[in-house]
Amino acid sequence: MRKLTKDLQPAERKAMRRVFWRSYAMNASRTGATQYHGLGFLWTLMPMIDLLYKDKPEERTKAIVRHTTWFNATLHLNDFIVGLVASMEKKNAEDPENFDASSITAIKASLMGPLSGIGDSFFWGILRVVAAGIGISLASAGSPLGAIVFWLLYNIPAYIIQYYSLYGGYSVGTTFIERLYESGGMKILTKVSSLLGLMMMGSMTASNVKFKTILAVTVKGSSQVMKIQTYLDQLFLGLVPLCVTLGAFYLIHNKHVNVNWVMLDIMILGIVLGLCGIC
Amino acid sequence: MLTHALLAFVAVFICFGGNYLTGQSMLERPLVVGLVTGLLMGDMRQGILMGASLEAIFLGNVNIGGVISAEPVTATVISTTFAITAGVSKGAALTLAIPIGMLAAFVVMFLKNVFFNIFAPVLDRIAAEGNERKINALQWGTWVFYYCIISAVSFIGVLAGSGPVNAFVTHIPKVVMNGLNAAGGLLPAVGFAMLMKLLWNNKLAVFYLLGFVLTAYMKLPAVAVAAIGIVICVVVAQSDMRYNKLASEGVKSNQSSNAHESKEEEEEDFFS
Repeated sequence: MRKLTKDLQPAERKAMRRVFWRSYAMNASRTGATQYHGLGFLWTLMPMIDLLYKDKPEERTKAIVRHTTWFNATLHLNDFIVGLVASMEKKNAEDPENFDASSITAIKASLMGPLSGIGDSFFWGILRVVAAGIGISLASAGSPLGAIVFWLLYNIPAYIIQYYSLYGGYSVGTTFIERLYESGGMKILTKVSSLLGLMMMGSMTASNVKFKTILAVTVKGSSQVMKIQTYLDQLFLGLVPLCVTLGAFYLIHNKHVNVNWVMLDIMILGIVLGLCGIC
Repeated sequence: MLTHALLAFVAVFICFGGNYLTGQSMLERPLVVGLVTGLLMGDMRQGILMGASLEAIFLGNVNIGGVISAEPVTATVISTTFAITAGVSKGAALTLAIPIGMLAAFVVMFLKNVFFNIFAPVLDRIAAEGNERKINALQWGTWVFYYCIISAVSFIGVLAGSGPVNAFVTHIPKVVMNGLNAAGGLLPAVGFAMLMKLLWNNKLAVFYLLGFVLTAYMKLPAVAVAAIGIVICVVVAQSDMRYNKLASEGVKSNQSSNAHESKEEEEEDFFS
């Protein structure tokens, strides 16, 4: 981690450290749908703006107004944009004649989408799911460790990524993402994370979706009661949960049915099963 | 009931407000919310169990692009509060959480996309002044205001809802209760289905079955499945990387080998 900060001046390093900690609360404030986290972005960047435009109050105000525009990107990876913007502001402060300040807003706008695309699927789709899978299995036994382990498993990698995103953005700039795409590393990363995510999904379907029928049939001339659940289990363990999950997936993915409707369907299904005496 | 309503307010504020203060650190997920609510209401174990079940149900409820279909914090706090203080069975409380979550999602969407627009001109004004003190004040002021309103929803929900919920629970027929419990058991399927939509890839679909069988038949816990998954990931990544390298070498075969080496060196230097 040293390598990324070694070229920074002491004052610069201090300001960047404040930016790093502030970026955790970037999404805390709200100023409506037209700005989203614009205020948070500005507030996060303030230590750098104060440092860079110390003796230029006019330029400073311009920089502040520049960052009130709409901003929203996945946390942790959005630090890459913060770092990149900080380095561009630095160039702008040092050489305002030759630097086009409107390119700062342009780079913000163009990076938000692709970075959120990567960030959302990694943080929400993979990291959180793996952490939650382990957390749920601990918590299902009633242990408070479930929540704690879940929280740590998510936040330790997130911290590391946030750190490298901010200082990486500040020092290496736009070439970073291009290189990752060029080397084909991005494609492999996406593939293996989907693989791991799907495997965890399967495991969690088996342990969390529950179905048990109380239906039993008595055959004439025999004192034995045939429990339907036993037969279902012999056929394939967890057959009904698997079918219900794949059915819900089919409706959402292939038929584009609204999730709330699918949830409602399952609630109705449950109540009907209860009324018929199946569950 | 007033005490419980106040505690519900506190639980939502800690989890929801705290989540955005700590970089969306997942304090807002039912696993954590259940634990916090359980601790505050005096039945930690029940809170944890509710949290674990609700985490599975709301797993697919991802806050992507600011659009949510159900809001997990309010849903978890209110349903857990009822499970602990009003004697609602766990399965019924889980089913109850769904409509509460949808209603709360509506409130959240209205607040952040409509109501809080009143602060947009304020930011424009103080930015034009370049007043840093006011920027700080707005950053924190909107945070407190926004999460106080959302926490108030749970306060009112617990205060007004406990009477009807109590009456409902004592008079409900057993078959309907069974049905609600069955629905509670099947609902996580929707959560997983939504996440699979995010991850689905026809070529990788078999790994879903592998994960299912490992847990259903071999009773492996999630940690073991994750470890096996990581092993498969590393193997696949290595073979893909080798394939990529072979492919790129094929393309570059007519270039001098020196140029190729220097590029590789540069890349290694960059990632170190």
